[in-house]
Amino acid sequence: MAEKVVGKGIKRTEDPRLIQGLAHYVDDIKLPDTLHAVFVRSIYAHARIKKVDVAAAQKTPGVVAVYTGKDISQKIGPVPCGAAIPDMKQPDHRVMATDKVYWVGHPIAVVFAENKYVARDAADKIEVDYEELPVVLDEEKAADPKSPVIHEKIGSNIAYKLTAGEGDIEAALKAADKIVRQKIYHKRLAPIAMEGRGVLARYYPGEQELTLWTSTQIPHLARTQISLMLGFPENKLRLIAPEVGGGFGSKLNVYAEEAIMAYASMQLGRPVKWIEGRRENMQGTIHGRGQVGYIEIGCKKDGTITGFRYNVFADMGSYFQLLTPAIPTLTGLMLSGCYKIPAIQMNVTACFTNKMSTDAYRGAGRPEATYVIERAMDLVAAELGMDVVEVRRKNFPEPFGAENPFKVATGLFYDSGNYQGALDKALKMADYTNLRVEQKKARAAGRLIGVGVSTYVEICAMGPSPALPAGGWESATVRIEPTCKVTILTGASPHGQGQETSFSQIAADELGVTVNDCTVIHGDTAVVQYGIGTFGSRATAVGGTAVYLALQKLKAKATGMAAHMLGVDAKTVTFDDGKFTSGGKSVTIQEVALNAHLAKNLPADMEPGLSATTFFEPKNFTFPFGTHICVVEIDPETGEIQIQRYIAVDDCGKVINPLLVHGQIHGGIVQSLGQALFEEVVYDEQGQLISGSLMDYAVPKAAQVPWMELDRTETPSPVNPMGVKGVGEAGSIGATPAIVAAVVDALAHLGVRHLDMPIKPEHVWNILKKNKAGAA
Amino acid sequence: MIPANFDYITVKSLDEALSLLAKHKDDAKILAGGHSLLPAMKLRLMQPKVLIDIGKIKELSYIKEEGGQIHIGAMTTHFQIETSALLQKSCPLLPETATQLGDMQVRNKGTIGGSVAHADPAADWPAAVIAVGAEIVVIGPKGERAIKADDFFVDMLTTSLQPGDLVKEVRFAAPKGKTGQAYMKVRHPASGFAVVGIAVTLTVDGGKCSASGIGVTGVSSKPYRAKSVEAALKGSALDAKSLAAAASHASDGISDAISELYATGEYRKHLAEIYTRRALETAAGRAK
Amino acid sequence: MKIEGTEKINATRERVFDLLTDPAILQKCIPGCEQMEKIGDNQYSAKLSAGVGPVKGVFTATVSMQDLRRPDHYKLVVEGKGQPGFVKGSGELNFVDDGGLTQVQYSGDVNVGGLLASVGQRMIQGAANMMSGKFFANLENEAKSTDS
Ligand SMILES: Cc1cc2nc3c(=O)[nH]c(=O)nc-3n(C[C@H](O)[C@H](O)[C@H](O)COP(=O)(O)OP(=O)(O)OC[C@H]3O[C@@H](n4cnc5c(N)ncnc54)[C@H](O)[C@@H]3O)c2cc1C
Repeated sequence: MAEKVVGKGIKRTEDPRLIQGLAHYVDDIKLPDTLHAVFVRSIYAHARIKKVDVAAAQKTPGVVAVYTGKDISQKIGPVPCGAAIPDMKQPDHRVMATDKVYWVGHPIAVVFAENKYVARDAADKIEVDYEELPVVLDEEKAADPKSPVIHEKIGSNIAYKLTAGEGDIEAALKAADKIVRQKIYHKRLAPIAMEGRGVLARYYPGEQELTLWTSTQIPHLARTQISLMLGFPENKLRLIAPEVGGGFGSKLNVYAEEAIMAYASMQLGRPVKWIEGRRENMQGTIHGRGQVGYIEIGCKKDGTITGFRYNVFADMGSYFQLLTPAIPTLTGLMLSGCYKIPAIQMNVTACFTNKMSTDAYRGAGRPEATYVIERAMDLVAAELGMDVVEVRRKNFPEPFGAENPFKVATGLFYDSGNYQGALDKALKMADYTNLRVEQKKARAAGRLIGVGVSTYVEICAMGPSPALPAGGWESATVRIEPTCKVTILTGASPHGQGQETSFSQIAADELGVTVNDCTVIHGDTAVVQYGIGTFGSRATAVGGTAVYLALQKLKAKATGMAAHMLGVDAKTVTFDDGKFTSGGKSVTIQEVALNAHLAKNLPADMEPGLSATTFFEPKNFTFPFGTHICVVEIDPETGEIQIQRYIAVDDCGKVINPLLVHGQIHGGIVQSLGQALFEEVVYDEQGQLISGSLMDYAVPKAAQVPWMELDRTETPSPVNPMGVKGVGEAGSIGATPAIVAAVVDALAHLGVRHLDMPIKPEHVWNILKKNKAGAA
Repeated sequence: MIPANFDYITVKSLDEALSLLAKHKDDAKILAGGHSLLPAMKLRLMQPKVLIDIGKIKELSYIKEEGGQIHIGAMTTHFQIETSALLQKSCPLLPETATQLGDMQVRNKGTIGGSVAHADPAADWPAAVIAVGAEIVVIGPKGERAIKADDFFVDMLTTSLQPGDLVKEVRFAAPKGKTGQAYMKVRHPASGFAVVGIAVTLTVDGGKCSASGIGVTGVSSKPYRAKSVEAALKGSALDAKSLAAAASHASDGISDAISELYATGEYRKHLAEIYTRRALETAAGRAK
Repeated sequence: MKIEGTEKINATRERVFDLLTDPAILQKCIPGCEQMEKIGDNQYSAKLSAGVGPVKGVFTATVSMQDLRRPDHYKLVVEGKGQPGFVKGSGELNFVDDGGLTQVQYSGDVNVGGLLASVGQRMIQGAANMMSGKFFANLENEAKSTDS
């Protein structure tokens, strides 16, 4: 009997091609006669364009066309924003700058040439005359009525103001014994997908067919949007996301460059390609985070939280990209964390700044929420002299599930959870009690050891359609071919997550075939039915469920066919291990598959073929959770921070492949580590992006990553039949507060209660130095 | 990430390289491992018209000891230094430095000659070659000459190489007597280059420090010899107190300490002191 | 970015002031300055090939001198742009008598944009120091060689 594979950590079927360099990313796709595009981008953060002189570029041999913003920005529709907030002000975001530039990196002109070298040479010859304007960089100061204004038509830099939450916050804070306040920064981060963006466009005028290869997380949504931008029929636009080398949210978007390449290929009658460079990627691909906020948390003497308020300024950048204004609303949804908090309020002031747009970056608004509530819980613990674990436990709900979902004051019903379970397991792994004893001893000996605990919950499996801008369902088609090979078409196009493996595992178990018999096809809108995409930790919970449900339909049909072949009543047929059996007789699924296609022996009312499609609409989000514990040691002489131990217990519901789950957790923790200790997109006071290359912007490397001790609990979600929740973002949500808390804890005896990220050694050293001076 | 147009020439001998250099002058650049040059070209920060690839010149890749002198050919890779049995035995400072330089790919391609010629203010080799008192042997239109490492590094990305010159080798006297060495580095979290890098070699005679070499990189716009540290060590018993006292001079006279996003000049100087002390302690321990 | 410093030049204040406001001398002193043309009152356009070591860019710049108060003070404003980006600087120069020598006290702001800013931030301060060092060394030479 074939072994079941769901729940097994089998190796990823995608890896051999990736490891051997055999995968095909956009740049690996070569079409004859392709023109190569290079953009000229603004070197000022805010300026009026006086003149763009392209004459020399146009004359360069090998140059086929040069477009400026003036040439094309009215010929292509605006860069879309899919999110809407009541009374939101939306600037007209054209594909290139026309009169003004708004950030360093804003595209001004584009050159198309026979090869990229000529294109770049010509781009260097384009002269832009600028008249500098005062820059707006700080999201808090941007809201000041005296600030210079970026979008004159809007008249202020405020994109929107929004209040969210439930309960009487004033009363709740009044009822508190103590109120703790803290200003908290979430710096801008660059998603840094290993593969930058890239677009290849080809137009066949005869067939009137436009094909766009683009490195995206959302092939179908991007096709819809780009067809609207171009006024081109959606069913004639084929969008293909080939191998996509990571996205982290940065490719959950529709970018000007995609539409420009499509437009140019039609105008120029040749394929055109644009491949983003890393410096361009830093300047012109969305950034994540970018909030500065003020928290107020009220508590009783025993640690019970009475209310939580978060007043936040959110940095939008100069324009909206696809989901820019929506990100802070996700923060609002998750402010309750895993705690019973009777009243919650978030007041957002979202502001335009002369910087690249912010948008979804792994976690998208939820890391901000988890970070502020977790920091708040630590501050409460410090204020009350309680242990950080006890404060958390005090406010946990009892374990809950389908019968008693947990309602929080942000309006959500959490699907299922057992926060104590994950916490207890993590504490045991860490030997927490002993850790505290050791910490004390070490401190007495002059060593600085800190322990940080974060108990997080996140919202994922996005999500019910009414809650999302563009549909929250997902699609799957499963086909059994005549030779009984299984083809799975998913709308949840992966870009590193490993669905080719995990969806095959689901199908293999359901159909009694092997993983190798299955293939997962995705990313090509001409082949795959409409789908939503991979983001918001939704691929398995929503896309996987669609696959699962399509398989059930298929099995039902196959069972009917098998019953017919066996001459028995379908109700008597059992299916196990690839065999349909009834009363001692059986047919294999292979025989059924062949019969379905030869169609010589079908029940009268049955269509030939074996294929089923499902569009799955989830009824709720899912809410994975967990506990992360970080132990750091700080070098008392230099302030350098060393992570000694990292423990994570995550609960993402039912696990299809633990290896993939670990991979996601590892990656998420690493990105958290980057945010906590190294990463920061820095614009100087002129708005120049000075963390503009990987020489300065510190993405963690393998050698900087600690060993991670991982385990999990499994609390199935009642939202979908497999009970899966999602894990793509958990690490990047749960880990940041644990790491920061550990560093703060190591310095707690010096009166430190909070430090802003990234916590650089020099900053710690300054604290230690001051303390030493004070003590002396 | 798209370099400007250039011609590429591979040469098989030093003479060929020199004559091409003489011919193309400022338009030409030597290509060694390419791990500093190519990134700069891709950014178009450098746009040489001709690249002269010296990778195939066999006579430039060697590590040998002759008459008490150790010679390392310019084209010797970081990896070859890291794994050289000769150096591990006679001058372990260099393998230890190599171990901390870049990553495996960089160490496989990058060369010591390229590194010293490039003179990045945060590169590792300059500290080490200063510490061991090396000379950079240069060959040019007028023949060969040796320049003391201390004089070779002039400023940021600037050496005393003249147009038409090529680095031929790095050479130094093999450490004699009871010696202890150490390289310690604080890596920049993004680039991996040195925020500070301290190279130490100590010679002990009768329980006292008879000679020392301390090279510092990353702190200032050029690598330097920490002369006051060396002076303070001379004759000292290398006990904890004297090492700490000596290390406190690690950045004496440095007025232009590098400040960048990750670390200010003040912090760099502090790190220089702490890591000098630690490197001295390690080296002193090894000298026993 | 702030740059400031004090340099001592072996000449009187008047001489130093005159040297530092003479475009021909400035051209000789500014590292890499290939050309300097008058375009207005105390305003010049210049062509510079500037950089550190092998990393060089060609810049076209306007140089203007303002607030001239011989021999005490003037303000120097330089705006240059080229393929690697732009450099803008303005600095106050004060000339203080120091027993027959002249102290040139300078303090100013330099802003860098474009490629230079996005990849060069760890080296920009050093580059500025290097350029100003060269500038004053050249000036010292000029002061000597044109000693009257
Ligand atoms: C990702 C990465 C990480 C790195 N990390 C570090 C690090 O941690 N520490 C560190 O020190 N370095 C680091 N480096 C730089 C690396 O060590 C380079 O290899 C080295 O600096 C230059 O050596 P090269 O052989 O590659 O020289 P090239 O790049 O080929 O040349 C560099 C310059 O030197 C000139 N040149 C080369 N050889 C000669 C010669 N024989 N005579 C005259 N001129 C010559 C070239 O013309 C060029 O101007 C890193 C590089 C990369 C890409």
